[in-house]
Amino acid sequence: MRYMTAVRGAFKRSNRYGYLFVLPYVIFFLAFVAFPLVFSLILVFHRWNIVTPMEWVGLKNFVRLIHDPLFLQSVWNTLTFLFIHIPLQLVIALGLALLLNSRIRFRSFFRAIYFLPVVVSGVAVTILWQQLYAFDYGVLNTVLNSIGISSIPWIVDARWAMPSIAVMATWKNVGIYIVLFLVGLQTIPSDLYEAASIDGATRTRQFFHITLPMLNPTMIVIVVLSTIGGFSLFIEPYVLTGGGPMQSTLSAVLYIYNQAFYFGHMGYAATLGFVFALIILVVVVLQRRVIEAEQTS
Amino acid sequence: MKRLVVYTVLVLGAVVFAYPFLWMIAGSLKPELEITTLGLLSEEFSARSYEHVLTKIPIARAFLNSVIVSAATTSSVVLFGSLVGYALAKLRFVGSKALYLLILFTMMIPFQIVLIPQYILMVKLGWTDTYMGLVAPAMMTAFSIVLFRQFFMGVPQALIDAARIDGCSEFGIVYRIIWPLSKPVIVTVGLLTFMTNWNEVLWPLMVVRERTLMTMPQIVTLFTIGGAAESQLGPLLAAATLLSLPVVVAYVFFQRYFIESMASTGIKG
Amino acid sequence: MRRLLEIFLACLCAGVISCSEKRGAVDTHEGSVELTYWPAPNAQEMELADSLVRVWNRRHPGIHVIMQPIPVSQSTEEVLLAAIAGNTTPDVCSNIWPGALHEYTQAGGLLPLDMFADFDSIVPVRTPSELLGTFRSPDGHFYQLPWKTNPVMMFYNIGLLEEAGVHEVPLTYGRYLAAGRVVTRDRDGDGSIDVWMGERDIRPIWWQRLFDFYPFYIAASGGKTLFTGGSVSFDDRHAEEVFAFFQACYRNQYYPMTFFQGGDPFFLGKKATHFSGPWQIAAIAKFAPGMRFDVAPLPVPDDHTGPVYTSGDYKNIAIFGNTKHPKESWEFVKFLITAEHDLLMLEICNQIPVRGDLLTDSLFAGYFRRNPLMVRFAEQAVFTRGMDAVPDLKEIFDTISQQYEICAVYGEKSPREAVRDAAQHARLIIEWNR
Repeated sequence: MRYMTAVRGAFKRSNRYGYLFVLPYVIFFLAFVAFPLVFSLILVFHRWNIVTPMEWVGLKNFVRLIHDPLFLQSVWNTLTFLFIHIPLQLVIALGLALLLNSRIRFRSFFRAIYFLPVVVSGVAVTILWQQLYAFDYGVLNTVLNSIGISSIPWIVDARWAMPSIAVMATWKNVGIYIVLFLVGLQTIPSDLYEAASIDGATRTRQFFHITLPMLNPTMIVIVVLSTIGGFSLFIEPYVLTGGGPMQSTLSAVLYIYNQAFYFGHMGYAATLGFVFALIILVVVVLQRRVIEAEQTS
Repeated sequence: MKRLVVYTVLVLGAVVFAYPFLWMIAGSLKPELEITTLGLLSEEFSARSYEHVLTKIPIARAFLNSVIVSAATTSSVVLFGSLVGYALAKLRFVGSKALYLLILFTMMIPFQIVLIPQYILMVKLGWTDTYMGLVAPAMMTAFSIVLFRQFFMGVPQALIDAARIDGCSEFGIVYRIIWPLSKPVIVTVGLLTFMTNWNEVLWPLMVVRERTLMTMPQIVTLFTIGGAAESQLGPLLAAATLLSLPVVVAYVFFQRYFIESMASTGIKG
Repeated sequence: MRRLLEIFLACLCAGVISCSEKRGAVDTHEGSVELTYWPAPNAQEMELADSLVRVWNRRHPGIHVIMQPIPVSQSTEEVLLAAIAGNTTPDVCSNIWPGALHEYTQAGGLLPLDMFADFDSIVPVRTPSELLGTFRSPDGHFYQLPWKTNPVMMFYNIGLLEEAGVHEVPLTYGRYLAAGRVVTRDRDGDGSIDVWMGERDIRPIWWQRLFDFYPFYIAASGGKTLFTGGSVSFDDRHAEEVFAFFQACYRNQYYPMTFFQGGDPFFLGKKATHFSGPWQIAAIAKFAPGMRFDVAPLPVPDDHTGPVYTSGDYKNIAIFGNTKHPKESWEFVKFLITAEHDLLMLEICNQIPVRGDLLTDSLFAGYFRRNPLMVRFAEQAVFTRGMDAVPDLKEIFDTISQQYEICAVYGEKSPREAVRDAAQHARLIIEWNR
């Protein structure tokens, strides 16, 4: 009883305008977040091409997914991408951030240049790298040939294609991470270093025992963002390789897109989306655990 | 000595990140056969590739579409982000905490799961091949709400109370106090939203088939994959240059704000 | 300010939602019958349709036919499926792709044409029964009437072959590969090959198989298509032979591994053979008018006997189930397939009507005298096969393309393994659709 009066009292004191201001978002949330989530849970149990009526198929989509070699391939491709992209990203971003953090001039100029690829559209970057990576007359191979090295099949060999995309993605995004590392570096109190120097610690020791641990939160952010980016890869394989050669660059989102729009399998595409989302959540949670564990040890 | 090494590395880095763009621009102006060389200069610069692009695809129209869509999306995100952020930060009402937690939760949902259902929603509402379809799902973002709320939490309550005492309506408070104060956040949210929305290509590819409604990245993508370039590199590079131009120009002027917005949001990450 | 914005957005929504295009079933006017007819959305077929509709309307004042073009921005299959679902179908459509027939009939969209009494006396006279039978649906009815076909054959550049010492058209795999050995070479000594025996896009795009694996399989198997009775039946030695053939072309580097830049290699005289349909004749006349070329049936395995079949890119006629005037629609369909109008199709569109008497009936003699190369396609027309009416053909061809890429282009799988894996995945796809 008292609880009810308390609630009603709170309601009475509620600012009406509060409800008014959040109302648009609530509507938006219901339409574009809640409804799609609920609908996706329905869709995964159906077969549908949008035009003809939905057909209930129970768990068939999930059975199909487990046996689908292309699904496993897309997961494998994404892991390949991440295994190259994340370490490369961390090393280059940290390296350049450390250099930028030292006493130099023109810091903002360098920072601006490194950040430039970030703002440019992924489509433009992909077109550009398509010309760099082309096998016969691409710039990279032309340069290699001129110094006596034979052409590398950057995007026409199944073993090179995904790593090449990983390098391109690193080039595009490392600017963000340089900036993040710079912010992280600047939050490290300088007296920590001073104390360590007084104690006789070398620069290397200082790096591994002060800098790296203090940058741990930043590194978590970078790893998590890169992972999410890896699972969101679409326009690069779509334009550069079409998912080939031999499906080695078929990314998660590209596969969803093909199933939905090429073959009209809306139910199966929704199932793929659902499962990939789960994978992402699990991977991200695991990563945070692992990196935080490393920090405490 | 060490400084020399540092500068060398930094300059090499700058070359690695900037030279490809210069090469791209040069390539769009060079004759076809010279494009594959590494150098930037050529005897015969011409605008032939640009002519090819401009005649083959409605890229100017696409530019306009991108402007309309990105401007509409950004204004909407800033508008609703600020209103909801303010309400969650400063207005007391039952359920505000729960709503905030809900909003945080939505930030964790990977888009892969809502992608197809959202598309189907567009089809059923009849919003495919419309501006509405391009703008609607991006109209509000949890991200902007969180940022605005964070900022408003730091605004002294006294300021708002004083305005209320003076008889200012809630809308007046928003209009006269909140928005002027939140300029830095507006810039941050605005720039980030505009940039990501401008470069967005997956959603337009799904929702728009009509060439006159395509956004700029979308039409350049189709130019690249379709046969309109007739296997010539010059037009491809010209299209890529045209696509990059608006953002790069904005970047040159607002570069500091771009970088700082990314930095400040990354920490929250 | 915000209110205005919201009102504006609401109006925009309302305006957008209410503006939806409606097309389809037209109501009768003045007591006469009106039929809607959808031809294919390309210039020549629309020209043909226009002429035919004009003649019909003059002769049949009580049955008025309206021709409506299909929007070009979408595939015909999408548009037709949407029309079936939205009840906005035309009465007659002549752009029916046999590969999509399963989708159309599953939605209950088409009329069984054999329900008309004179079907049996008219249709098999035009199209030989053996060929006609391949268009019967699994339930025994005919939902489509084969109208025109574009048989896939081998175009070859006489000059390039003779230059390399090949004076006889290579009609078997053995002779083709032997020709490849001498034709593919670096002619001008600049270190790179400038003449190739042939060329295919190496990306695994599903419809590319309609110009290599699919027609070659039909040729090698003597007229068998990929499915029998709705089940996968292509995991046999014929498919392995086709895979092995293309694998040899790439392994021996008779076919290049890169995309060609700067234009079509056949027109530029860079490749000696090209597998395509009759539309190529007009293209060659336009882009490479000086080329000496001819057309031959596809190469077959060395031990092949009997006629050489191929795939024909069929477009068929169908009447939609929602039609209010089935009898009149059937009259119009019969009108479309008369000999005079098939001749018009030859003359305006340069595509082959599916008739058995093209080379025997004197009506067509004049056309073939003026277009001797079309004789080859006319001869081939009766020895063609369409697509099976099986669900998810696109995805099945996509998986065949992937195996083709791994086996033929990159040589990383044996033909037997590739065929086996393709068939297995195709079976899975059919199973998922049950």
